[in-house]
Amino acid sequence: MPSHPLRVAVVCSSNQNRSMEAHNILSKRGFEVRSFGTGTHVKLPGPAPDKPNVYDFKTTYEQMYNDLVKKDKELYTQNGILHMLDRNKRIKPRPERFQSCKDQFDLVITCEERVYDQVLEDLNSREQETFQPVHVINVDIQDNHEEATLGAFLICELCQCIQHTEDMDNEIDELLQEFEEKSSRPFLHTVCFY
Amino acid sequence: SGVDDSAIDMTTSEKVVDLLNQAALTSGESKLTMLKQVQELIINKDPSLLDNFLDEIIAFQTDKSMEVRKLVIGFIEEACKRDNELLLKLIANLNMLLKDESVNVVKKVILTMTQLYKVALQWVVRLKVINELQEACWEMVTSMKDEIIMMLDSDNDGIRTHAIKFVESLIITLSPRTPDSEVPKRQENDISLERIPKDHPNVHYNSLAEEGKKALEQLLKFMVHPAISSINLTAALGSLAIIARQRPMFMSEVIQAYETLHANLPPTLAKSQVSSVRKNLKLHLLSVLKHPSSFEFHGQITTLLLDLGTQQQEIARNMPNIKDVRKRQR
Repeated sequence: MPSHPLRVAVVCSSNQNRSMEAHNILSKRGFEVRSFGTGTHVKLPGPAPDKPNVYDFKTTYEQMYNDLVKKDKELYTQNGILHMLDRNKRIKPRPERFQSCKDQFDLVITCEERVYDQVLEDLNSREQETFQPVHVINVDIQDNHEEATLGAFLICELCQCIQHTEDMDNEIDELLQEFEEKSSRPFLHTVCFY
Repeated sequence: SGVDDSAIDMTTSEKVVDLLNQAALTSGESKLTMLKQVQELIINKDPSLLDNFLDEIIAFQTDKSMEVRKLVIGFIEEACKRDNELLLKLIANLNMLLKDESVNVVKKVILTMTQLYKVALQWVVRLKVINELQEACWEMVTSMKDEIIMMLDSDNDGIRTHAIKFVESLIITLSPRTPDSEVPKRQENDISLERIPKDHPNVHYNSLAEEGKKALEQLLKFMVHPAISSINLTAALGSLAIIARQRPMFMSEVIQAYETLHANLPPTLAKSQVSSVRKNLKLHLLSVLKHPSSFEFHGQITTLLLDLGTQQQEIARNMPNIKDVRKRQR
């Protein structure tokens, strides 16, 4: 087992639902975890599918919460958005964009293929410095509350297995194969370098 | 830094002595923390102390804890970057750690040698005359380089991945930067072949150039191994893209390797691994396409990209600036 706790990043599009659900569970289980979004903006459902609420990454969860209470408290209570924002602001003040974070991780877990692509594009466009490897794994999770919960447990189980390997670099391939079989979902996996 | 405030009246040197004494008596996380503080004090705060305390810190290279040994390696890297002469003394320690029983320690030495090979080459080139000790030091660097290249055949997947990155960096160093080379800002001042005089008394330009070409051959050979792991393959694909952009003289070899791989994906890969590899291949082909020197290979690259499911408009978006291409053709 590596002697330092795995430095994990969980990444979705807006750093609201899927990545935050996983952030919540992983930090409760003692992981050194951060969460991010890769989108250019933070999007939350609005009164209609074509009318999302759009914020920039500087806006705090608290400000979004207050904004939505003002707009339509009943709607955003009923669809669970206020509850989610309330949970999020207890974890950290505001969403963070993956592309703006220069900290290094051992493991980056993305929640959909498009986000995985954006993470790879970003990591590959950075100048190499230490050549320290980082494993990037995609676990497809639909962007709704139930799937986010199930997905977070799967991510957590995966991280625990990886944390307990003797030699992560050497065992991760096989471990992912087993996980694919067990969960019957395919995982994309690659290695990038800092 | 996190140095204890109660020690504020002590001189830096006294603080270092104190921390080293404490570190020798403890273990685990607190030992690591103390040694990290020592490193901070004598590498960044007061490098004049480096000489004084070198032996004391290096003594931890046989520590039971692999994290402590890794810290010593990081310390050696920083110390040698600051004072190249220290290579003379410390290269033997790294050589010993390269044979450590812990793969994590070996990997850390490979990462460090990826940096220090360039530092050592620069140092040996700067020497006008070379004495026996200096020559022995450079010979040890060279033999460690050979040993790491051999690690492409290691049983351990992670060691192979680290060896790939070492070889990538070696190929860049041992080949000339040309006007069409992409140069990362951080590496602007790094030595590479074109900075070495052809008649240098200490190192032979031609043999270094040969070593560089041979390293590329080894990387290419490694890539066509039918049982290559998916992680090694993705690492190697990325390395080739970096080599093609920074050393366009090897563009044709790289495109050829991508074509061969695309036509013969290793049969050992699982279905999702095939998707991962294809995605990587696409990403790196697009990055090579953007480079003006890939112009004469656009046909091949585009065919590969279309085969990999890339949209025409995405290909168009990644075409190089026409002006750059014309400049090159002139």
